[in-house]
Amino acid sequence: MAEPDFAARCNSHRGYLLRVAVLQLRDNDVAEDVVQDTLLAALQGASGFSGRSSLKTWLTGILKHKIIDVIRRKGREPAFASLDEETQLEDLDALFDETGHWENPPADWGNPESALSQQQFMEVMQMCLEKLPPNTARVFLMREVMELESEEICKELAITSTNLWVILYRARIALRQCLEQKWFAAPGRAA
Amino acid sequence: MRLRISCKDASRLISQLQDGDIPLWERLRIRLHLQLCDACTHFERQLRFLRAALRNYR
Repeated sequence: MAEPDFAARCNSHRGYLLRVAVLQLRDNDVAEDVVQDTLLAALQGASGFSGRSSLKTWLTGILKHKIIDVIRRKGREPAFASLDEETQLEDLDALFDETGHWENPPADWGNPESALSQQQFMEVMQMCLEKLPPNTARVFLMREVMELESEEICKELAITSTNLWVILYRARIALRQCLEQKWFAAPGRAA
Repeated sequence: MRLRISCKDASRLISQLQDGDIPLWERLRIRLHLQLCDACTHFERQLRFLRAALRNYR
């Protein structure tokens, strides 16, 4: 078993792990269980943490497996009820005019990297992620936070690569639009 | 196939480019489009920023 200091350090990432789990599972109780399992597995496997990656990255890796287990057990049926809607491209056509030009061209965000160190920005991003449709959020986080390869996601969720790219495209479009409205072009904020 | 593509097609390809290999021909079409289009250039930078932001997410 790990020393108390290690336990405390793992526990300090609890909030982050829970946010990621809730966004993907959309069920607070199941997410709590998954995070509990993750922290327990981390303490039991503390010797497996080499320190080569950050503790957060290591914990994310454990969480990834726990979430995939849940999806394997129960995720394919009810949670995916709206998958059909989220893999349609038609409603995204409205972003473009009949000649294929942007209706609202994406703006220049200047040097957006400076926002990453701001707590307020991370809160806006969290809010924008929560607004994504459930399957879109799940798939997008698998790709961008858990860093799964496209083929792995298709296999785990039993979706086609075309479904996958439509969902990821939908997520990126929605997120960039939300961030532009709520942050980069928000009144009173210099982009 | 045409060399010129619309923003609608370009934006889809730019997103796909983040998730795996796409054919050389499509990459050339994106590159050409980006040279001519500020909006899609912004879009492409924004997607790269989103990736960085999500990796930095806490």
